[in-house]
Amino acid sequence: MDELLQFLIAGLKNGSIYALVALGFTIVFAATGAINFAQGEFFMLGGMLGVFFAGLGLPLPMAAVAAIAATAAIGAVFELLAVRPIKGGDPLRIIMVTIGGSVLLRQMALHLFGPDELPLDPFTEGPSLKLLGAAVERQTLWIWALTGLAVVALALLYRRTTFGRAMRATSIQRDAARLVGVNARAMVTASFALAAALGAVAGLAVAPLTQASFHVGAGMGVKGFAAAILGGLGSPVAAVGGGLLLGLLESLTAGYIDPLYKDAVALVVLLVVLFVRPQGLFGGSGRVKM
Amino acid sequence: MGGRTLRALAPLAAVAVVALLPLVVTDRFLLKVFTFAGINALVVVGLALLFGHAGQVSLGHAAFVGLGAYASAYCTVRLGWPWPVGFAVAGALAALGGLVLAMPSLRLKGHYLAMATLGFGELMALTFQEAEPVTGGVDGFGGIPFPSLGPLEVGDAAALYWLVWAVVGVAVLAAYNVTSLRPGRAMRALHGSVPGAQASGVDVVGVKVRTFVVSALLAGLAGALYAGVVGFISPSVFTLTASVTFLAMAVLGGTGSLAGPLLAAVLLTLVQYIDALIPGLPQEASQTIQSYREDIYGLAIVLVVIFAPRGIAGLWSRRGGRGEAA
Repeated sequence: MDELLQFLIAGLKNGSIYALVALGFTIVFAATGAINFAQGEFFMLGGMLGVFFAGLGLPLPMAAVAAIAATAAIGAVFELLAVRPIKGGDPLRIIMVTIGGSVLLRQMALHLFGPDELPLDPFTEGPSLKLLGAAVERQTLWIWALTGLAVVALALLYRRTTFGRAMRATSIQRDAARLVGVNARAMVTASFALAAALGAVAGLAVAPLTQASFHVGAGMGVKGFAAAILGGLGSPVAAVGGGLLLGLLESLTAGYIDPLYKDAVALVVLLVVLFVRPQGLFGGSGRVKM
Repeated sequence: MGGRTLRALAPLAAVAVVALLPLVVTDRFLLKVFTFAGINALVVVGLALLFGHAGQVSLGHAAFVGLGAYASAYCTVRLGWPWPVGFAVAGALAALGGLVLAMPSLRLKGHYLAMATLGFGELMALTFQEAEPVTGGVDGFGGIPFPSLGPLEVGDAAALYWLVWAVVGVAVLAAYNVTSLRPGRAMRALHGSVPGAQASGVDVVGVKVRTFVVSALLAGLAGALYAGVVGFISPSVFTLTASVTFLAMAVLGGTGSLAGPLLAAVLLTLVQYIDALIPGLPQEASQTIQSYREDIYGLAIVLVVIFAPRGIAGLWSRRGGRGEAA
């Protein structure tokens, strides 16, 4: 029983990270109809830039904010330089550009920060906490708190602000949104910045546990995308649900079958969902809703 | 000589140059580089079919190459089977892997296949490392014999070169027939407009799945050739980096053409071995080029997709907009 609880905690910890990355996929997909292959690199940049800013002597909270802001800016610049020039917004070409761009982002991190795994201090020092006989690392609580915060902030942004409504309008019907005065192009840029920021939060939050490294983007990209598909590509709530579920499936597989198969779970989930229920578990019609 | 005659003669001239190269190039290492170029070309022809003619992207073709390489190594070394059997098993296994990936991913509108292949690539890279009893793990799999056809062993550098390029030739010929005959028109129709193709009675999903399976098959055969040429394989070769390299070659080569991707495969392979090509090149310069190699591939993909979606094939092709990736 204690063992199961421990697996559940680990699953929800990783699942929160997948949820944040999946949200990034969902946001860009809603705005462009394309899969952003650089999403995993934003996750990677969050951790690497966090280490970088902390290394400059910034206190950790400020380093974290700087890393998230810098990654969001990189996301926006990425969209302006690589995605916007594509005439007609053909999804295939957007995908190709994000593939090339993800290689460039990874290489940039390698050239700037080197090939080593870089450590980041836990946000709060101290021994693990006990919960009904299971151990919970303090950083895990941070991951949950930050994920919750990001989801609530995103929901408020979409529901309560004019900017958020404009983003939703653009994703539902781009031309109609433009007719009522929404700057649809700016909304695409904003979606990349937002997706990058969410990825950075995830990368930053998990860095004290896993260390930051330049090469983790692609693997995280697959898992985040599998989470998004599992929930149902299109809705933020589904992305979060898919992320948590994928995390649980992974940790239970690792715990009860073999840790070796942990990384296979995401691909199997991806293929099975595409085959059996492409609209995802929580997706109704498969239509994009924000 | 008119442009049309030139266009008809160009493929013949290309074949002659490729076939006669070992008579001119006697340096064994250089010949090996051109042999590797042929192996890459084999993969890239498949990718070009997939990308240029079916409008799909793969980020996992290095995994199919690896699958073919390990399959043929296992068949020839551990099971003692004749090389042609191992070669066939390599192709069949890769094709089967392609089918498993393509069936769910291609049934749907959109580009799920790209992500599925990325996941497959990562998973296979892990498998090559961890399945030690079969693959030899991180230490690699050595002692793989040269290709042989019955009693005839293909071990000489020039013979290996000819074998590889003969396979490329057959693949190109098959691909050319596939693309210019009915299935090819179906594939190009897909690239243009999926509903339009469907309305004209094209089995959209079937064509896409078949194209992907063929491209995986070619990659598997390339893997078997690689294992035979080098004699040693290890997981570090069949990674995402290699998949991106193949993709860069196909994209740079351009859509709607086979000559373009072939040329791009050869050119980008030569970049990899630039120190062998320019003997006087300072070591520092070649090291710099090597460390920025992936940057070059990434940048090539981005620039070509934005500014020249028809790739280098667009430079000489005047077929108006047919291969346009839009």
